[in-house]
Amino acid sequence: MTGLILRTLAVAFFAALALLPISWMASMAFKPAAEWTSAAGTLTFLPKDPTLNNFRYVFTGNSPDQMVGLDRTVWRPLYASLLTAISGTLIAVICGTAAAYAVSRQRIHESIGLSLLQLRIFPPLAVMIPVMIMWSFLGMIDTWWGLALIYGIVTLPFSYWLMKAYFDELPREIEEAAIVEGCTPFEAFRQITLPIVASAVASTALFIFILNWSDYLIALLLTRKEWTTIPVYMNALATAASGQLYGAKAALGLLAAVPPIILGISIQRFLVRGLTFGALKQ
Amino acid sequence: MTDTTLPAPMPVEEQATGKLAQSRRSLAVRLLIPAQVLLVFIVAFPLIMQIFISLTWWTPLDGDPWYLAWMSWNWFDNYTYLMQDDGLWGSVGRTLLFVAVAVPIEFFLGLTLAALFYEGVLGRPVLYSLILMPMMIVPAVAGYIFFLIFQQTGPLNSALSVLWPGMLDVNWLNDTTRAFVAVVIADVWQWTPLMFLILFAGLMSVPEDQMRAATILGANWRQRFFRIALPRIKTVIAIAIGLRVIECFKIFDMLFVMTGGGPGVATESLSLFLYKRTFQDLEWSYVASIGITVLVALSVLTAVLMARVKKKDAR
Repeated sequence: MTGLILRTLAVAFFAALALLPISWMASMAFKPAAEWTSAAGTLTFLPKDPTLNNFRYVFTGNSPDQMVGLDRTVWRPLYASLLTAISGTLIAVICGTAAAYAVSRQRIHESIGLSLLQLRIFPPLAVMIPVMIMWSFLGMIDTWWGLALIYGIVTLPFSYWLMKAYFDELPREIEEAAIVEGCTPFEAFRQITLPIVASAVASTALFIFILNWSDYLIALLLTRKEWTTIPVYMNALATAASGQLYGAKAALGLLAAVPPIILGISIQRFLVRGLTFGALKQ
Repeated sequence: MTDTTLPAPMPVEEQATGKLAQSRRSLAVRLLIPAQVLLVFIVAFPLIMQIFISLTWWTPLDGDPWYLAWMSWNWFDNYTYLMQDDGLWGSVGRTLLFVAVAVPIEFFLGLTLAALFYEGVLGRPVLYSLILMPMMIVPAVAGYIFFLIFQQTGPLNSALSVLWPGMLDVNWLNDTTRAFVAVVIADVWQWTPLMFLILFAGLMSVPEDQMRAATILGANWRQRFFRIALPRIKTVIAIAIGLRVIECFKIFDMLFVMTGGGPGVATESLSLFLYKRTFQDLEWSYVASIGITVLVALSVLTAVLMARVKKKDAR
């Protein structure tokens, strides 16, 4: 019994350490400019004078706290983040699921799995030079489809391996039965197999959406202004106006952090599987 | 019974299954096309282009398109230069040091947490979700969080000045050693949950009856954990550490936002070095040659590791 309580206390201590930094940013997002640093007095954990001005500033471009208005509000980057992450996810999930099914059932071109995995091993910056040249050659720099395409490619290994693990587990007999009943192999895949793995596809899609949404580096390299995503916009904010914009950036950080946290917790049981490319299950 | 084998009984149906097998195969081939197209698109052409450019002095500053790069052909000058580039090897060394410091800390903290959870805690679902939260934060945002925390006028100094009034008033990110420690702390904060998640899933897969049998035989928790559970999750441990080493080696987002590689080059990882070379110095052909070198080195390394794993499996 004492063991149980001691263990709970120890874990609670770690949980507090995990939460403190996040809650510091969350509280910063609601603090007026005077409370951002200890330069103008002592810091408190909770805002003394909570305000929504930081959010007002990033959404409307103006705030009573700030002398200089923003020339770009967060709406456009928010739209860019959503559009590129969702379309990238669609590309990855559709191509990955199709390929995984083919390899799982027919055992052809199995080497594609390892090639895809290798894509994840190299540091992106070591291989980005030709990609940037190619993207600019094809007119895809700073476009939503250019960013969506590369997101689809870099998350393809996840969708392929995750869906392959599911297809491998699924007994073939159901499809066989459908084919005996007169379905073509494609109908059997689309009408029988896909509905069975629908929830797996959904978890995979949410997982990949989180990865795409969390990207910073690729958006930094392949967008300029029109289609910068929230993390890139957030980090550039300090130079957009005079002085440090701690509170406004914290508001943006909170905005960027909330969707992955909600989605992540909702697919919590899937995370182990997702992060290990389907090698481990919970 | 004689040994005669009967001839295949129903030739008509066999013909049908032959057709079916063919149509299945052709479906599989078609389903593979999109993924293969993407893979070829991102591997074949870029790889050739990267090798080509790495053998020239080409930079976007020339104003010439990349395919005219042959005009400044220089064979292996970039490669001989990178061999003696202290900036490059310094960043490689720092990245390896970073991996060697951060990953073991993450592993031991993650293992401790997994062991605590495995033995049982109160309110497990809630604590479990809370512990996992840091790894769900966008890495660039995590970098910003720790940038805030380590400011001279930030919360860490405020908290410490309560404990030791006036003793600690430093900018954590301004000093070589402190900045390195700070980025290690940030990385450990964000990725210990990943270690915990994977290791805990591994522990949960250890057959319960083995653990119970050990308890009945009088094994204490330490024996149960180190003698029974740990040896059974060796593969899981290898996966967890392998994943973290790869990701940690690639680290960019968090460092870029938190320190930008500074002060000086104290926290400049390989990725940050490449970024600066690409965008501040625009030495694209040189970066391409480093990229090829990294590619070759990592491919050889993974091939060697894979061969060793296969050898072990065979035994």
